[in-house]
Amino acid sequence: MSFVLKYKSLEEEKEIPHENYTIKDVLNELELSAQTIVSKQNGELVIEDTVINDDDEIQLVQIIYGG
Amino acid sequence: MKCSKCGNPKVIFKREQSGQLLCKDCFIESIEKKVIKTVRKEKLLDKGDKVLVALSGGKDSVTTLEILNSFRRMNVIDICAVTVDEGIDNYRQEGVDIAIRHAERLGIEHKVVSLKDEYGITLDEIMQRENHKGSCTYCGVFRRTIINKAAREMGATKIATGHNLDDEVQAIMMNYLEGNTDNLTKLGAKTESKAKEFTVKIKPLREIPEREIGLYVVAKELEVHFDSCPYAMQSFRGEVSEVINQLAEKHPTLKYSTLRGYDKIKGILKKELTKDYSHGRCERCGEPSANKLCKACSFLKELGCD
Repeated sequence: MSFVLKYKSLEEEKEIPHENYTIKDVLNELELSAQTIVSKQNGELVIEDTVINDDDEIQLVQIIYGG
Repeated sequence: MKCSKCGNPKVIFKREQSGQLLCKDCFIESIEKKVIKTVRKEKLLDKGDKVLVALSGGKDSVTTLEILNSFRRMNVIDICAVTVDEGIDNYRQEGVDIAIRHAERLGIEHKVVSLKDEYGITLDEIMQRENHKGSCTYCGVFRRTIINKAAREMGATKIATGHNLDDEVQAIMMNYLEGNTDNLTKLGAKTESKAKEFTVKIKPLREIPEREIGLYVVAKELEVHFDSCPYAMQSFRGEVSEVINQLAEKHPTLKYSTLRGYDKIKGILKKELTKDYSHGRCERCGEPSANKLCKACSFLKELGCD
């Protein structure tokens, strides 16, 4: 079970480590604040509580930068 | 999971403080309604106003333009825009281009003014000088002067800026922490100056959190410049912002309560602490100034740009 993670110039295939693995878990692993990011699942905006499914494309869009 | 308003299962937003869930359409509507409510509550617009939007091409100013344009479509106001090109390599041009495209899309009067054309120096050049006072100091003063001048030249009756809830709360805390009671009296949704040469400034997005503005532009597929100013990390504002955001993670209503608290004491602050500046003219450029030279001209003199 895997998904594709897109963030800035990064695009990589990642394993889904356990059941009910959410976008929030990905943000925590990358040490990104949900306050600065919006997330898309297969091209559609979703909330961070969304569970990632097999073959999903998860895109993280940084909307807030310092200053 | 379903939208709390319409039941649509495609939820894009969860309000942390209340648990409310919203789909794309209901989220967009909620932001636009909230801004319109601020405009009405604070009496930010009068019929027949010509509003100059300070349009950087970033998410806040593009959202301001987009929502104020609904008043223009109803023939309540006219809109024009100005974009300041500070001269920051590998950063500014994209925002300027985006601003131009939005102005063209909406068919509004727009001009781009560069620090180089106006003062003969770019922000990058200033930052190479020894003993400079920090990028934000110059950028803030020069930008404000250019926008005020553009407002007069374009016949604008109001200047709208994209200040959001986070910006406003940062300003309240920064001025408080620095003991700057003078600046603390000048915040708020609508800023009027005694000098008639200074156009009234309004902040329609003042009650919208920054993240929600980011989500709004992505949801509405508005083209914006998402990037970090290379000089941003040098600012005290950045440090204050970090502390407030850390606190807000555990206390999601903190930004609203800070704003509400400030609004309650603002009247008293203004009454007790507003300084009565004598309004003269800058002897160099003729802009309104409390001193012989206005802030912009005193900086230019220090920088040797006479």
